[in-house]
Amino acid sequence: MLEPVRSAAASDPLLTVRNLSKSYPVTRSGLLRKKIVGTIDAVKEVSFSVHAGETLSIVGESGCGKTTTARSILNLVAPTSGEIQYQGRDVVKTFATGGREDALALRRQMQYVFQDPYLSLNPRWSVRQILREPLRIHRRGEPATWDDQIEHLLARVGLPASYADRYPHEFSGGQRQRIGIARALAVEPRLLICDEPVSSLDVSVRAQILNLLADLQDDLGLSYLYISHDLGSVRFLSRRVAVMYLGTIVEIGDVDAIFDRPRHHYTAALLSAIPVPDPTRVATAKGVRGEAPSVTERPRGCPFHTRCPAALPVCRDEMPALVPSDPDHKLACHNPR
Amino acid sequence: MRLTIYIVRRLLFAFLLMVGVSLIIFFLVNAVGDPIELMMAETPGVSAETIERMKVHYGLDQDPLTRYFIWLGKLLSLDFGTSIIYNQPVGSLIATWGWQTFKIQVPAILIALAIAIFVGTTAARRQHSRTDFAVMSGALLGQSLPAFFLGILLILIFSYTFDVLPSYGAYSTRGYLWGSVVADGLWHMVLPVAMLAFFNTATLTLLMRSNMVDVLKLDFIAAARASGIPERRVVYRHALRVAVIPVLTYLGLLVGLMLGTAPVTETVFTWPGLGYLYVTAIHQLDYPIIMGASMVIAAMLIAATTLTDIAYVLIDPRIRLE
Ligand SMILES: Nc1ncnc2c1ncn2[C@@H]1O[C@H](COP(=O)(O)OP(=O)(O)OP(=O)(O)O)[C@@H](O)[C@H]1O
Ligand code: SF4
Ligand SMILES: [Mg+2]
Repeated sequence: MLEPVRSAAASDPLLTVRNLSKSYPVTRSGLLRKKIVGTIDAVKEVSFSVHAGETLSIVGESGCGKTTTARSILNLVAPTSGEIQYQGRDVVKTFATGGREDALALRRQMQYVFQDPYLSLNPRWSVRQILREPLRIHRRGEPATWDDQIEHLLARVGLPASYADRYPHEFSGGQRQRIGIARALAVEPRLLICDEPVSSLDVSVRAQILNLLADLQDDLGLSYLYISHDLGSVRFLSRRVAVMYLGTIVEIGDVDAIFDRPRHHYTAALLSAIPVPDPTRVATAKGVRGEAPSVTERPRGCPFHTRCPAALPVCRDEMPALVPSDPDHKLACHNPR
Repeated sequence: MRLTIYIVRRLLFAFLLMVGVSLIIFFLVNAVGDPIELMMAETPGVSAETIERMKVHYGLDQDPLTRYFIWLGKLLSLDFGTSIIYNQPVGSLIATWGWQTFKIQVPAILIALAIAIFVGTTAARRQHSRTDFAVMSGALLGQSLPAFFLGILLILIFSYTFDVLPSYGAYSTRGYLWGSVVADGLWHMVLPVAMLAFFNTATLTLLMRSNMVDVLKLDFIAAARASGIPERRVVYRHALRVAVIPVLTYLGLLVGLMLGTAPVTETVFTWPGLGYLYVTAIHQLDYPIIMGASMVIAAMLIAATTLTDIAYVLIDPRIRLE
């Protein structure tokens, strides 16, 4: 029987990540040099995809590998193994061995917004210098047009042109994050990877930045990979969500479906932890028994079995695979809720 | 505007500091005792009358406060008095001998700074590599070696064993190298400069490396990389300006340290510099030189810290507004 022809262009993902892993050596300081005594898997066999114009969120406790995953995509950390494709282009290979022009072309497609706008802007550079750098590197038009482009970028993120000649320390956290977003937009990317873009900001300005991100998505047709601790903002920005635990995705699918009826026990625990006193941290809150094991001592079998209320004997030995449970919903659990 | 105010304030502060230092130097030297009596104590058979006449001649019969203001007034017109042992104006002595100190210290600092920036950065980019390990061990070793020990080692190797470089003085006493004053001067500078540069390089390299390691971990560096900026530019244009600031601040301190150790280093190479002059003056109780040289050294230290502070503000926009 013939398969129905799908409209390929619309449904082919922009970004596909397959079995992405990143391990770090564990070192102990020896007498003279550091000795490698083992490895930790910060990210283990993570797979997901992001479609054009959509937002995929990644949630999970601190240290579960969200940043490592996000940075691997842009080769800010070199992945240990796995495949990353952007519109069919091999991202890992392009950054590792491809030509400079190919790498730049990829960077024009995918940009990064950092968590802490106090650390992600060069303190010695004015806003104009910061924004001019990507224009220069990517040769965006004649140098004579750069000042106009900078003004335009600032307007795009809701800042007056007069801010161009100020330095980062003269701005509030929210304004800095707008500058960080403007820098990412300078090369007109299609995908923004936003690593907890509001978690270091005052609660009062978070909504403004989230609204800005939503507006930019509407106006520019951007796709987001949005990483957050804050489940409210995840629901606001995204249609799909991936839940990470100790370096692996345990559940991925439609936000409303997962948030209303989590199937994985870790997701359920995470959700029952809202609201949390400190909204920047979902933390190991009420819903979860015990401490999260660190990635250095990842348990055999299901990584969550040490804390799971529904653990079966098999959970201790066999790592559950991430398999479809419903349409647009995948789950890694031997004994789902 | 604020910058101008800052600079004016800083200069004013430096001036007040100088006044304070002059008070301390004057009254400290005075507290040691009457210089004429100290000198004459070792020369028996000098009549009390002669001592009295000498005191009047040197103006020592007046009360200390009046003498301080007379001294200060002369200092302001750059009159440091006359050396007792050399019987020459102290000002010109300090200028000639000071120039010799300057001649070896400044090249040593510049060479050290250039090497430290490059080597420290290279090591930081390859943290925990063999290169990094070699740089670190070399620098730590260099830092822990006493300056005079290295000087003596250099003399042993290059002057005695191979006999290719002179071990003392700023110029040959008989016949210049290749008949040229310049060549001969440079030839004599090699060992002292090498020793001073080595000593500074070790410290500056370690500082540069650790700053660079820290800066390269910051997110604005990741942001630069995410923009596709080539790694060399990321390091030398984005990171260096931030990482070098503590090194530049340290330079101010280093100038002080070098002046402080100048007596030792110049003694090792019998180098006719300010430090050497100072040591001889102390041995011989030549108090116009002691006071004049102390003032000049203090002025240089204060100038160094003041200039460093101002340079620091010029480089770091964050400080500018405070
Ligand atoms: N350079 C590194 N060297 C060694 N271990 C690292 C390194 N970077 C990250 N890790 C480890 O990898 C794990 C995942 O870190 P990652 O920063 O990706 O977590 P995260 O989910 O982003 O956490 P957070 O919510 O705190 O930002 C952590 O246990 C961390 O300690
Ligand atoms: S696999 Fe087992 S231990 Fe893991 S979440 Fe499911 S039931 Fe719990
Ligand atoms: Mg993170």
